[in-house]
Amino acid sequence: MAGHPHYREAHPLIFVITHWINLICMVMLAFSGFYIHYPFFDGFMGVARGMHFVAMYVVIINLTFRIVAAFFVKTAQDLDSREVDLDIKNWLPQEKNRHQFWETVKYYLFLRKEGVISAKYGSLQKIAYLATIPLTYLQAYTGFAIYGPSMDLGFFRAGLDLVGGPMNMRVIHYLGMWVFILFTMVHAYLANIYNFAPSKLIFLWKETVPEGKH
Amino acid sequence: MAQEAHGALHDLLAVRGVTRRDFLKYCGSVAAMLGLSETMAPQIAAALEGAPKLMPALWLNGGSCTGCTESIAQVDTPDVATIVLDYLSFEYFETIMAAAGSWAEKNITKRAEEGGYILIYEGSVMTGQDGNTLFVGGGPENEGAKKGIEILEEAAKNAAAVIAVGSCAVDGGWIYGYPNASEATGVAAWLQHKGITTPVVSMPTCPVNPEWVVAMVVQLLLVADRDPAKFLQVTPMVKVPYTDAITGEKVTLLMPKAIYGQTIHDNCPRRGHFENGEFVTELGSKEEAMGYCLYKVGCKGPQTFTQCPVTRWNRRASWCVESGAPCIGCGGLNWVDNNSPFLKRMSDMRIGDTFVQPGTIGAAVGAVAAAGLVVHGIGMKAAGRIGDGPPMEEMKAYDRKRLAKKGGDK
Repeated sequence: MAGHPHYREAHPLIFVITHWINLICMVMLAFSGFYIHYPFFDGFMGVARGMHFVAMYVVIINLTFRIVAAFFVKTAQDLDSREVDLDIKNWLPQEKNRHQFWETVKYYLFLRKEGVISAKYGSLQKIAYLATIPLTYLQAYTGFAIYGPSMDLGFFRAGLDLVGGPMNMRVIHYLGMWVFILFTMVHAYLANIYNFAPSKLIFLWKETVPEGKH
Repeated sequence: MAQEAHGALHDLLAVRGVTRRDFLKYCGSVAAMLGLSETMAPQIAAALEGAPKLMPALWLNGGSCTGCTESIAQVDTPDVATIVLDYLSFEYFETIMAAAGSWAEKNITKRAEEGGYILIYEGSVMTGQDGNTLFVGGGPENEGAKKGIEILEEAAKNAAAVIAVGSCAVDGGWIYGYPNASEATGVAAWLQHKGITTPVVSMPTCPVNPEWVVAMVVQLLLVADRDPAKFLQVTPMVKVPYTDAITGEKVTLLMPKAIYGQTIHDNCPRRGHFENGEFVTELGSKEEAMGYCLYKVGCKGPQTFTQCPVTRWNRRASWCVESGAPCIGCGGLNWVDNNSPFLKRMSDMRIGDTFVQPGTIGAAVGAVAAAGLVVHGIGMKAAGRIGDGPPMEEMKAYDRKRLAKKGGDK
């Protein structure tokens, strides 16, 4: 499973860049968000808010670009192949992942020994990645709903009524960040648990090819 | 504009020691509040001075602490707000009227029949215990005995408009707070629930700021020519959608935009220190006296839509944040539950009967996840999966089972 080659075709340069942008923005958002939640040192609020807004706009544009790009950029569909097809196919259900969801769960719970056959993204992995899309947009929505100049708009007023007011929205926005923190923890853990070849590829765009492969 | 004060109002003012200059200054601040130019002050003065007849009004008290009445009526020196409010003819004002008993109750019934009045309602609508609260006239066996809710409905039905003053009248206020034993709710939701279509203007904060009530009275007298329908038409309103948990009604609360259109944070005198990142960490500290921002000690200004920093309180002397206390968000909806504990940045989350801070929940979940991943990592190591990963299956478990089944059939 993890001894497989890590070819550049799995993550073309454009997605290495979008991944970097995501990472940097998310770190900035979490840091400035924690600061806005409770300023743990002095002299930074104006910068923290500016940082929060800039990183938010960038991450939203980046995500939207990434979604559109999935329909145009070609990426590898399998772990040990350089063969490419449209990236969006990685995000739709794939034959290789069929009937494998519970087997994957079992594998991670140590209820089975062998690794699970899967496409480039396993079923659990794919669901987790896809879930970040609505979550990111939801964070933007909850954020605008507690932002003075925009919370007055009907679109946000309706949401505020739904959750019972700006304070509850603030709490949801805050807990939403924890969902991203949990995602990032699990994501970084599972990506690198076997070895650091995946990180070398996604951050440095360096291939790791086991002997006998090319 | 040297305009001679005249008429009954001038006498009233003179008797109470208010000079013409004081009065015009006051009219200027009322003009500013209404979003009018201060040059409108003489016209406002003229509207108040020249008001030909008093506008009938009823002031009813629901479930409340009477703090709004206190705020408006309990002044120790002659107060311009009080005098201006004399221009409404209160035919019923429980706390301060001279009438009592059935005679007082008849004032409501008579006025409700004749119409042409505004109803100012203070306090929550307590729907619990079958509405057997604020009972008038002894027990239900007495003729003419009425529940508080019935009095509200009777008075609201024929009113030209209802002004719900104070948070309790808007959505139940602090009485609505958990566990809300009296099942309190607000006037707008209750009237809609009962099919009464009289327009309701909602004016939250606890208590209501008397200056704002005055501003609305002036708006009614001056801009709207004493016509409540026109008043609603010409007064810009914030329309706040609100779902009431007691009646299940979805109401649109009308709040005057000039008063409830911006957050306290927007106009706060401590705002500069917020942007600079200069905060008060402890009440009573040097930083508090220096006017630093109260955000860290739980100020709810950023999500509270009132213009307290502009009008201020106690005859424009000062107000909560200026005097060094964090805003507790009394101008918001369901404000007690949403803003307590008052000195914390966020409200508690209620899980059953336990109250927890969201930060505690986040940190606890994060810590459990981190510990879980460490344990899982040890398990992965023990299972020999680290490095090149586990041995891979040759065939999916599903296919294996299906093949085995097929084999068995043979």
